[in-house]
Amino acid sequence: MNIDMNKVTEILERNPKEPGAIIAVLQDFQREFRYLPVPAMVKASELLHVPLSKVYSIATFYNAFSLTPRGEKVIRICKGTACHIKGADKILEQIEAGLKLKPGETSADMKYTVEVVNCVGACAMAPVLIVNDKYHGKVRCDQAMGKVKRG
Amino acid sequence: MAHITINGKVVKAHEGEMLLAVIKRLGIDVPALCNHEAIEPTGNCRLCMVEITRPEWEGWKKNVTSCLYPVEDGLIVNTHTPELLEIRKTLLDLQLARCPNSELIQKMAEEYGVHETSYIANVEGDNCIMCYACTRICEVLGKSAISAVMRGQKKVIAPPFGEEPVDCIGCLACAQICPTDVIPYEDKDGIRTIWKKKFELVTCKNCGKTIVTRDFADYLIEQRRIPHEYFETCDDCKRLELAKKMGGLITKAAEVAV
Ligand code: FES
Ligand code: FES
Repeated sequence: MNIDMNKVTEILERNPKEPGAIIAVLQDFQREFRYLPVPAMVKASELLHVPLSKVYSIATFYNAFSLTPRGEKVIRICKGTACHIKGADKILEQIEAGLKLKPGETSADMKYTVEVVNCVGACAMAPVLIVNDKYHGKVRCDQAMGKVKRG
Repeated sequence: MAHITINGKVVKAHEGEMLLAVIKRLGIDVPALCNHEAIEPTGNCRLCMVEITRPEWEGWKKNVTSCLYPVEDGLIVNTHTPELLEIRKTLLDLQLARCPNSELIQKMAEEYGVHETSYIANVEGDNCIMCYACTRICEVLGKSAISAVMRGQKKVIAPPFGEEPVDCIGCLACAQICPTDVIPYEDKDGIRTIWKKKFELVTCKNCGKTIVTRDFADYLIEQRRIPHEYFETCDDCKRLELAKKMGGLITKAAEVAV
């Protein structure tokens, strides 16, 4: 996968060049590329003086970061306790069938990524389905795919 | 100098040194897995816990990790209360579940009466107890070539991207500090392999014994200003040379005396 190194430089330019800024930089990479490209991490490590092993440690620790490209739309299904009881499994089934993707997978056309997450702190609206940054609550099985397509 | 009471005995200790050091000096057997003098204590394994109190605490006590608790004058320490024995037993039971194949953990657990773990044994796993001694010593050496990767159950100690660690100089500090011996390496035909990376070995010009890797020698010469002659002979040959020199001097001194 080829990435635009100018974008990497741009992101590094606008952030402070100190170890404490590493997470912010990685977040910017994630937003820009929808994953963390290796050359970008290497550059950040050099410029911010954070050992590469530590950059990788952070990159693999947080779920918000991904090491493989994610799709344009990231579909997250909450399977926390409340959502689980409210039938998150059924919602997931609908989405797996509708997109032909299993949790953790991304479609070949890079349009969709499906992820299962733990409690997102919105239990009152369980079951919760998140499409990119939009939270959908009290989702019904027959609505799930519609929400995925519309955002 | 501070005075503290350990298991009823008053002992002298340096203000600020860690309790574990004093306990070890007295020869008291308190298990400790993640502590090493070359690295800062982090209290990861929790095995070294002891009970502390002070007269003015009016009977109030607490359990602390002795590797992280500095000596204060007047401290009263107990190392083997029934509660502590119970805590260590539980910890070792958990460790044994994590590392059922580690001889060291087996032995330590046995000493606390755990012959078999009461949890589900992780038979397939390696013997890593996640004490971070390896990553910490690597950091002390100024390299940080390896780190913890992923989190929770999937966490492992590994080089970045699962590839040969670029920053590794093959010094072996990680493998040697590891309490459960889980980091494999091999020295063969003048080549050292560790973390899948290969290193040329520097050997003693007199006896041919392995000294260090070329990368480690270069690092010490450049960064720590160690003269490069230091890496020409091994420790044994250096000692021999020194003995010869000293011997010569003594003979000379004897001649002069006569
Ligand atoms: S369990 Fe889904 S939001 Fe809490
Ligand atoms: S030696 Fe103190 S916590 Fe491990």
